[in-house]
Amino acid sequence: MAEQGVLVTLELAYQVEQFYNREARLMNQRQHRQWLESMVHPDVHYWLPITEVRFTRDKRPAPTPDDGGIFNDSYSDLDDRVKRLETGMVWMEDPPSKIRHLISNVEVFHADQEQQLSVYSNFHIYRNRRQREETNLIGGREDILVREGDEFKILKRKINLDMRVVLDKNLYIFF
Amino acid sequence: MVNVDSLIDLDKAVQSKQVFWDQDIYDQEMENIFGRSWLFLTHESQIPEPGDFFTTFMGEDPIIVARQKDGSVKAFINSCTHRGNQVCHADSGNTRSFVCSYHGWAFGVDGSLAGVPLETEVYYNKLDKDSMGLREVALVDDYRGFIFGCFDEKAPPLAEWLGEMAWYMDSWADTGGGAELIGTPMKTILKCNWKVPTENFVGDGYHITWTHVAALQVIGGPLGSAFGAGDMPPLDDMGAQITTRHGHGFGVIWDVGHAIHRNPQNYVEFQQQTLPEVIEKQGEWAGKMYTGHWNASLFPNCSFLYGTNTFKVWHPKGPHEIEVWTWTLVQKNMSPELKREIQKEAIMSFGTAGTLESDDGENMETCTRTNRGFQTRKGTMNASMGLGVEGRHPELPGVVGSNFIGETSYRGFYRFWDEMMRASDWDDVIKNDNTWVDQWLGEGAVSKLPTVDAAFKAA
Repeated sequence: MAEQGVLVTLELAYQVEQFYNREARLMNQRQHRQWLESMVHPDVHYWLPITEVRFTRDKRPAPTPDDGGIFNDSYSDLDDRVKRLETGMVWMEDPPSKIRHLISNVEVFHADQEQQLSVYSNFHIYRNRRQREETNLIGGREDILVREGDEFKILKRKINLDMRVVLDKNLYIFF
Repeated sequence: MVNVDSLIDLDKAVQSKQVFWDQDIYDQEMENIFGRSWLFLTHESQIPEPGDFFTTFMGEDPIIVARQKDGSVKAFINSCTHRGNQVCHADSGNTRSFVCSYHGWAFGVDGSLAGVPLETEVYYNKLDKDSMGLREVALVDDYRGFIFGCFDEKAPPLAEWLGEMAWYMDSWADTGGGAELIGTPMKTILKCNWKVPTENFVGDGYHITWTHVAALQVIGGPLGSAFGAGDMPPLDDMGAQITTRHGHGFGVIWDVGHAIHRNPQNYVEFQQQTLPEVIEKQGEWAGKMYTGHWNASLFPNCSFLYGTNTFKVWHPKGPHEIEVWTWTLVQKNMSPELKREIQKEAIMSFGTAGTLESDDGENMETCTRTNRGFQTRKGTMNASMGLGVEGRHPELPGVVGSNFIGETSYRGFYRFWDEMMRASDWDDVIKNDNTWVDQWLGEGAVSKLPTVDAAFKAA
């Protein structure tokens, strides 16, 4: 990820923000298949590392995808997750949860590769289930988006969830 | 003291619903069960070097596990002996001392009190530092690299505590270079009683085909296609359930150890290469265990899925909440590539965002929460499946049920839970060591599981 770099034009930044808003809407509407097929690159790496609580003086390197991750997914892994939801036999999602993605702090830079954008964003995902069960997941995303004409595809997504102990029963959602 | 005499009915195989809800029962569990049992701490592979430490819990007590200069392992209560503050707030690391953030008391990796700020000026050298080290966990030992601790020095040695279960575990824990846990644990909360996931892992083969139907359909393979497809073999031929002296137990499905792996070729190849080692060392039955899929629990709160390579601890946080810690279980002689491949599959199925993990959490929470109802928890839960067809087996240790879909190991778990809850101390438990099966099932109870020759060599 570019820490900083050449900011894109207002128009391009607007397009990226609209891309994220559409993505959030598709999640909310449970259109997972449409999300996968229209917004995710076939070579995607979708990664949520497991991050320990360590002392500042601890010089061990940060986790890499070789260390695994709560998500460490290729396109076919994401496809399997979507297929499971499509079976109609996921009892935990019947009745369905309400899942709302709030995306903010979008910063868009030109990436090293042409036609690629390096994008930071923050998320607040609100889940409300059954009668009165609610959870809040807050964190950031580091994306590499590929421009394909007027569209984008997610080539890389690193999800940084701002909690050590996941204060939720599972993370069977998309970030 | 809560009256625990009427919570478990062994003959009818029912348990009071209070065991998932009542605070006074929970408090006695902390004393009688978590205060006396060997509890899983970590694996040697997680703290290889002197000064390496790992922080965890025994019951609700915060614990530091640390590798000593001489290579041994000690465990301490993570609480300063001055005013009780937690002395280590990191998950793991390497250190020479644990320095309390309150007044700066410094404890060595061996737990001793090494430094006290202004010791001369304010304590006038009257502080007896030798007696003020971190409280050490009475017993710490490892079984084939799996490190356990126990607060009660009168407990039997770890190998004896694991007992018959150790023979079964040896099929994989003593094969392929031995077993290890890789990665830093994932941590999640579930708002359930700690016994709900333990009992599920110890013996619930029944839920697999219903709770997990969606994920199994996507994974395909032997479990995805066998159930409900009309071509499955008789269930009595598919596996077994085992429970042991101290409540540890498991269910095993023969030949499908790899069933939750989507592309198991490399894993199966490793198993086939190492299988002769198991059979030579431990015989044919151990070989069947080695290539089977296990859902297992070690009493009281540690569970694993051998085959799906998932290893978990359910840390109690009051009667209605747990923290779920999840590692990946592999064998040391697997190549780094195979370990990574297995870790990915294990997390995909039973990690925090796992395709099967997320099915279970919902059930475990509501199995607990319904008992908030005052009338609801006057009722009982039933675990009678397979009652009467379990018992001793001529070739296998423990008590053996002949069908992996059964509740033999549920009953075995609650049999020992009941024994521990009523016992006044370890002597009160040890006196039953030779008679527990007869006391429980009556004399002469014999398992319906055939001998290994009859079961697997007839055809």
